[in-house]
Amino acid sequence: MTQMVLKERGRKYVGLPEFARAGEQILAEMGLEQARGTVTSVPDERTIRYYMAEGLVQTPEEKQGTASVFGYLHLLQLLTVKKLQAEHLPIRKIRELVAGKSEQELETLLGVGSPAAKKTRESDAKRYLESLLAPSAASPPRQAAAAPTAPLPQQLDTSASWKRIEIEPGLELHMRSDYSPPATTGKTRSLLEKAIHRLRRLRG
Amino acid sequence: MEHPKVEFFTTRTKLEAQREQTVDVLIRITPPVPKPDLSTRPNWKGRPDLNLSLVLDRSGSMEGEKMIRAREAAMFCVDQMLPTDRLSVVTFDDRIEVLFPSEPVTNKQSMKDLISRVMARGSTALHEAWVRGGLSVSERMLNQGINRVVLITDGLANVGITNTDEIVSQAMGLFQRGVSTSTIGIGADFNEDLLMPMAQSGGGNAWHVVEPNDMQHIFQIELEGLIAQFAHTVSLSLIPADGVRIVDVLNDFDLTETGRYRLPNLQFGSPLDIVVQLKVGGEEVGTQMRLLDLRLGFTPQDAKNAEVLKQAHTVEFATRSEVERSAVNDEVIKAVQFLINARARNEAMKRMDQGDFDGAQAILGRSLSATRAACADFASAPAVMAECASLEETARSLTDRLKDKMSRKKLAYAAYNRRSGK
Repeated sequence: MTQMVLKERGRKYVGLPEFARAGEQILAEMGLEQARGTVTSVPDERTIRYYMAEGLVQTPEEKQGTASVFGYLHLLQLLTVKKLQAEHLPIRKIRELVAGKSEQELETLLGVGSPAAKKTRESDAKRYLESLLAPSAASPPRQAAAAPTAPLPQQLDTSASWKRIEIEPGLELHMRSDYSPPATTGKTRSLLEKAIHRLRRLRG
Repeated sequence: MEHPKVEFFTTRTKLEAQREQTVDVLIRITPPVPKPDLSTRPNWKGRPDLNLSLVLDRSGSMEGEKMIRAREAAMFCVDQMLPTDRLSVVTFDDRIEVLFPSEPVTNKQSMKDLISRVMARGSTALHEAWVRGGLSVSERMLNQGINRVVLITDGLANVGITNTDEIVSQAMGLFQRGVSTSTIGIGADFNEDLLMPMAQSGGGNAWHVVEPNDMQHIFQIELEGLIAQFAHTVSLSLIPADGVRIVDVLNDFDLTETGRYRLPNLQFGSPLDIVVQLKVGGEEVGTQMRLLDLRLGFTPQDAKNAEVLKQAHTVEFATRSEVERSAVNDEVIKAVQFLINARARNEAMKRMDQGDFDGAQAILGRSLSATRAACADFASAPAVMAECASLEETARSLTDRLKDKMSRKKLAYAAYNRRSGK
């Protein structure tokens, strides 16, 4: 099932009938059963129009002549809606879950997350944890193994190791003692550009 | 890939015809027993690789016996690991120290030497220490192994972020990103309302160490559990047939964001009992009826993608006299009663928190009588005797105000263990 879905990446479906057929094929493969016959298990064109009206599947912006051009995102939206319906979620809840989700998020909801998505897991957990640390604690703690006899810092990031340089009244540059200034003109320039960029953002 | 086995049991095999009734259904999920045949999976050592961080409280209150036992337990953990596993140890009081960063467990002696020097001092920066442990793990994520932080503490978070809800939701956030958290609370002074939900949301286990001596044993169970993990991210949806209504799911599982029940991780060979109460309308005698459809979603430890197991349960309706003559399934009676007792324990905790100790004691007393009555025909079964002894002991300890903190923890962990099939 995963491969079936993932190989549709980047594909375009011109017109509603072609899109409905693609959805139908994959859904048949997924074998989603709908209980009690209240929901059609294979979406026909009418159902898809209804989904678009309900905001469950985005209305495509691209056109070829009069035909709407559907893409991979639309397909994922359709599959996710059917999957969640099979799990008896009300339309309202499904809309909450599907609306505004990226292709990758929908793949995850569908359980077809790609190897590439798995690969980002490592940095994902790390980034998340780093975001949980208070800014004052963002530098790594000392490692006891390296120097067990040295006194421990009172806080993870002691202010003593920072130098303050006044640029003009009201603006200071804070520099950590282990920071080495840029060695080449090119690096200095790119650093200045970063600073200019940050200052511009402040100006709004 | 082997699937877990799903079985359905009702108190009596058949249901009574032409009468609306409440039916207790015991759903037993039994993960497969691992096969000794290694040829099917290359590089399979019989267990997943471990990537652990032990986050060890060294605050002042740990001084003495607790610190000694915690060190021993951590060293025991080192001994159990393989060179293909990774371990880091973070210690904390008001400061956090990475004793050693994540590294393969190749030089056990030097790891143990470092652990042996950990002494108690200071207060408790629990949150940041947990984050540091997580960072050690996340730097070397195993895609198919187990990535876990084990937090060991006897105290309350009193430095840094201390808000319980915030830490619990962060533990869930981290689990969604592939790192689970287990917590080991020692003694009577830690915050069970933090450590238990943290492990539950964090996809790990919550342990309560009553006596410092139990620590090594708990570590052993935690490690065995990690090694025996069959599947994680387990969820369940139950779809009743027309005319059938779910009244209650006695395990009180949390719901996932898609509205399914969030189940604990599945361990090889260790069954999980779930009880669902259904309201069923009576059909004609002899009618076969599909009662319930079940979908079990899980991600096997050695696989990348989730799998779904679908199964249905069908029952037959019979005359009243035939139903009454048929045998009663003790397993169902026991499972129902024990889960009701788990709820009673939580209710007793609430009473304790309101200062109503008599009320709490009365609740436990009623649970004890109810258990004795329901399980009268098999009162000597070990599980029944253990349950009654636990209720009795906790009710008795409620008369002693000095033991309140410990009693509350015993209630909390007994309820948690029952619900999650531990």
